Amino acid sequence: MRIGETLLKIDRRMIYLILGIAVIVPLIKPIGIPVNVMPETQKLFNAIDQIPPNDKPLLISVDFDPAAMPELYPMLLAILRHAFAKNIRVIVLAIWAPGTGLGEMALQTVAPEYNKTYGKDYVFLGYKPGMTAVMLGMGESIRGVFPTDYYGTPLDSLEMMQSIRNYRDIAMCVSLSAGTPGYLEWISYAGARYGLKIGTGVTAVSAADAYPYVQTGQLCGLLAGLKGASEYETLIERHGYSKAFKPACQGMDSQSLAHLVIMIFIVLGNIGYFLTRRQR
Amino acid sequence: MNVSHDPLVWFAALLTLSIFSFLYKDNPFYRFAEHLFVGTSMGYWIALTWHNAVKPNLWIPLVKEHNLLYIIPLILGLFYFLRFVPRLNWLVRLPIAFSLGWASGVAIPAVFQASIIKQIQGTMLTPTMFNRWDTGLWSVVILIGVICTILFFFFSTERRGVMKPIAQIGITFLMIGFGASFGYTVMARISLLIGRMQFLLRDWLGIVQ
Repeated sequence: MRIGETLLKIDRRMIYLILGIAVIVPLIKPIGIPVNVMPETQKLFNAIDQIPPNDKPLLISVDFDPAAMPELYPMLLAILRHAFAKNIRVIVLAIWAPGTGLGEMALQTVAPEYNKTYGKDYVFLGYKPGMTAVMLGMGESIRGVFPTDYYGTPLDSLEMMQSIRNYRDIAMCVSLSAGTPGYLEWISYAGARYGLKIGTGVTAVSAADAYPYVQTGQLCGLLAGLKGASEYETLIERHGYSKAFKPACQGMDSQSLAHLVIMIFIVLGNIGYFLTRRQR
Repeated sequence: MNVSHDPLVWFAALLTLSIFSFLYKDNPFYRFAEHLFVGTSMGYWIALTWHNAVKPNLWIPLVKEHNLLYIIPLILGLFYFLRFVPRLNWLVRLPIAFSLGWASGVAIPAVFQASIIKQIQGTMLTPTMFNRWDTGLWSVVILIGVICTILFFFFSTERRGVMKPIAQIGITFLMIGFGASFGYTVMARISLLIGRMQFLLRDWLGIVQ
């Protein structure tokens, strides 16, 4: 019985400490657990890969804040690298206000790696409040919603935007989504109403809710949490699109080890429960 | 080891450690970091809302371009503040009614189409699904899962006879769904911890690449 009681009374600080060690050690000394690519990730990769170079642009919506950065920011970097390596033009916007800085930071990091020019190869529209109004308005006229880009330049004076009027001139949209508004709003307002092809990258918390939309074809692909980000990083490296540092892949060893520790504690907790239940 | 010389990185690292210190117990460092975060976030939101919402959508059209139509949304917006005036606080219902009416009109057909019609279509069995045995099998599993789960929430009849096993199958599907969601939630929280550890070990201490 004592064992059972001991197992049920493990100090929570001890659990935090062990979990912390399980996360830190693989970062310092990587184990090298291989990354297997899931079909949903492969679908999103294929959808972006099939966009013809210098044709209709890819729209990326930064629908997250710094709290979701460890999961979604590596996805943003990886998708930008994929698009720029394939000479796909990119439009970035933010439906979440704090996403503005993250979107700009990602473009400033990746664009110089591929010698891309602002206004010709990519455009940053920034943030506009009004979620549904923004999504619906862009279906009619992007200029109506964003008369200027983030830096105050009129869209008509940007070379890349000359031929882009509304969703009909956009190849697909990828919503990197940490909640509401996010991929579901893009599906409802831009996908269902205007027929825009939608793909998404989501935080792991909301991944289970997103799978039904992949099954129905409303989402052309899905990246689920840090695992999805690491799979996309692996894919772009495998296809020779990027040799950049892979932050999500670096974190996956820690992720696997931390999950193992949590599973062990769940099993120990259950053993403790069953041992003490007999006594009761 | 290549420790950062950037004072901002040091400040961010110390704030991260202050927040982590709560794992041991509540302390002044944690409370300082928490209050600083709340205050900074609020200031950031106010500035962002002014520059991205109020200024371009109300201030410039009304004050600089003298478009008097914008007085209507201004008055509707100001009505929200009448909540603090007991005799006039009923006027707050006007902007709320306007927002609700507009949002419902826009959202109901779109959400119905995207989340109900298309999802029902996704459960339907078509001959092409059985071209491969695995897709056919999963389609049948989805159909059974959807029907049994919906019937689990059908409370108009007592769970007896055929309804009892159906409800049990429904709750089994629900539990599998909750398990998957919990697993993903654990993954998400660990990812956040990994993100902070990467910052501390890479950007601050320079221990890892």
